[in-house]
Amino acid sequence: MSKTDDLAQQRSRAAESREKCADWKALLERIPYAQHLGLQVQCGDAVVLVYLPCNETLIGNFMLPALHGGVVGALIELTARVAAQSKDRDKRCPRIIDSHVNYLRSAKAQSTFASAEIVRQGRRSSLVSVTCWQNDKSKPIASGQVQLLLPTIAAEQEELHDS
Amino acid sequence: MRLTPQSWMFAQEDTKEICTSLLYSLADSAGGLAVIAGAMELMPIATLDLRMDYLRPANGDRALLAVATCRHLTDQVAFIDCDIFCEADSELLATAKATFMRNTHGQQFHSDGLKKNSV
Repeated sequence: MSKTDDLAQQRSRAAESREKCADWKALLERIPYAQHLGLQVQCGDAVVLVYLPCNETLIGNFMLPALHGGVVGALIELTARVAAQSKDRDKRCPRIIDSHVNYLRSAKAQSTFASAEIVRQGRRSSLVSVTCWQNDKSKPIASGQVQLLLPTIAAEQEELHDS
Repeated sequence: MRLTPQSWMFAQEDTKEICTSLLYSLADSAGGLAVIAGAMELMPIATLDLRMDYLRPANGDRALLAVATCRHLTDQVAFIDCDIFCEADSELLATAKATFMRNTHGQQFHSDGLKKNSV
């Protein structure tokens, strides 16, 4: 491959990442609970991350101190939701059916990051796997799998009809 | 455990549905209390895993009620079930199953947590 091809590919990948970043940001801004937690989108080289800044109000155990398990769960669920919605062609708003989170290490009162991997995205449902880490990406603090249901076009049309 | 919805808890700007993550937090908190209630002692605990099933959307104009039960207690681990209802019509909105590590003192959690996860 020539150098120019390589460069062009790199550029298009960067543009794709930027586009995805803006996409995620817009979706996250529309979730009041994500705003309450202070979730932000961070753009990496090829990946888009969700960033949770540490905040005293999010601590669940003051003795350790550690982040509340529910906050980590929320980070995982919301990351999965934004990932699935941004991947969907029609940007349909998915409904979370179930989520399963495993806590691997104690979540310290520090900044936390989450990245999503879409295991499968179908027409009706989506399975997203999310990993959370703090200062070391190779030492995840929690991982989770979230099943989401995408509303069918027919149901959406019905809703429009009703309103 | 009871929770009254507020506008910052919503899942979407234009709807009045409570974010599932809030039900998740509620189940985690109620589950943690159930461990302490089941053990009848106040010791630090840590969530090992939590699985939620969201059966129905939670309407933002009604209070939520979480009922957590400690199913089994060993020296190290507690098994918890939690159901979340709509207070007004006691409709089941979500169910949760969780395991908690008991007696976690700071660093000890690391080794215990890893041991449990590798089983």
